[in-house]
Amino acid sequence: MVEIKNMCFSYNGVLPFVLNNINLHIKKGDYLSILGENGSGKSTLVKIILKILKPTNGFIAIKTDKIGYVPQRFENFNSQFPITVFEVLNFHRKALGIKDIEYVYKSLKIVHMEKFAKELISNLSGGQMQKIFIARALMGEPELIILDEPSTGLDAHSQNDLYKIIKHLNTHLGITIISIEHNLRVALVNSNSILELTDGTGTIRSTKEYSMKFQEVSVNATV
Amino acid sequence: MLQYSFMQNALMVSVLISILCPFIGVFLVLRRHSMMGDTLAHSSFAGVALGIMFNFNPIISSFIFTSICGFLIELMRNYYKKYAELILVITLTLSVGIAITIISAGNIGASINTYLFGSILTVSKQELMTVFILSIITVITLIALYDKLIYITFDEEGAKIAGIKVTLINYVFALLVGATISVSIRIIGILVLSSMLAVPVATAFQLKKSFKLTLTFSIIFGFIDVIVGLISSYYINSAPGGTIALTSVFMLILVIVFKKLSLMSKKSDCSF
Repeated sequence: MVEIKNMCFSYNGVLPFVLNNINLHIKKGDYLSILGENGSGKSTLVKIILKILKPTNGFIAIKTDKIGYVPQRFENFNSQFPITVFEVLNFHRKALGIKDIEYVYKSLKIVHMEKFAKELISNLSGGQMQKIFIARALMGEPELIILDEPSTGLDAHSQNDLYKIIKHLNTHLGITIISIEHNLRVALVNSNSILELTDGTGTIRSTKEYSMKFQEVSVNATV
Repeated sequence: MLQYSFMQNALMVSVLISILCPFIGVFLVLRRHSMMGDTLAHSSFAGVALGIMFNFNPIISSFIFTSICGFLIELMRNYYKKYAELILVITLTLSVGIAITIISAGNIGASINTYLFGSILTVSKQELMTVFILSIITVITLIALYDKLIYITFDEEGAKIAGIKVTLINYVFALLVGATISVSIRIIGILVLSSMLAVPVATAFQLKKSFKLTLTFSIIFGFIDVIVGLISSYYINSAPGGTIALTSVFMLILVIVFKKLSLMSKKSDCSF
């Protein structure tokens, strides 16, 4: 689904590289979590996969145009915007050139939010709002969904509810998931591979392998 | 009042303005660019001064100069991402600098005052035609870009990913702001024009409705503000800019008070 070889990126071509020699191979149906501290290059990598940014060097191939995106809730938009759930999805439908309005309700049904169509987005809780953005990402029947820290600011109950839906999309609908996470436990429980970025570089590991490595590090630290 | 042709002209222009200003204003306010309206209104001042100096239609010259400033703001947005207000200060400085230099050098007469405070007596047939054509083009473009503009305003990054040509539309929007300001300065005046862009929208926000209804109410409030302001300016013999601005603020206060009262009555219903 996504193939990245020896990819480097720097803003405006000015060194140092934000991403340095990244190699990734994500298969169809994979669930990859990207971990890393602030400034490690997580969001930059995602923006390159979303084609918002172009890599400075290296090779990148994405075998689908059907990509859904769930933005970070607190960074990118005004939560007091006077807009209904239906309007959010309907404007996205029009932008994608989808003629059938039923897609709006179909997407809402998948995330169990069909009753909220007429509700203002500002009246929703954080978890409900995040589900609406997942519904929006589902509009174009995507093969790949990219989520930017989907659980930020959510309580434990809302987080469980949200990850159940994301897991359902991955296992039942076969949608490939790439999710930036700040919570290691969430990444270990839900994904099947993990990429930990440190200073713009990192390698992909299976969750099992990563879990073992993490345990080793914890044991050594205790000793 | 309506037997006078100057009043008929002023009313026709006012109806167009009352639709255009809140239509553009709702996008400006939601993008947190309310002050961009104020900055570009001052840019139009320089445009008018240049037009009068070179004996050129001041509405067209104001449209050209305001649009150039709108483009400049859009261009600089990429350079000062974290200091958006700085871009407005730079544009304002350039515009006011040009205007003050031209006016203080005595290159134009007293007619510039009618653009500062607004005027209903001096809207000529030629200006009416210019305003009419610019307004129609602006409204048609706004309707054509309506869905995309809302998407960009709500979530610019999401719009880019959905395939919307965000940069191009932002430049077109800057052009539309320029056109709206140029057609409005004749009646409303440069000094209070930003109030017409923002206050009807602020009033509509109080109602907490969907985007479509917020826009509709912004236009309705804008229409009431302009018409009431214009008629009262006729009777008290003042410049319409002041009365329109005051009406818009009174309308906002009225809606806030009405909302509070209806909330209080709902609360007292609950207590029984």
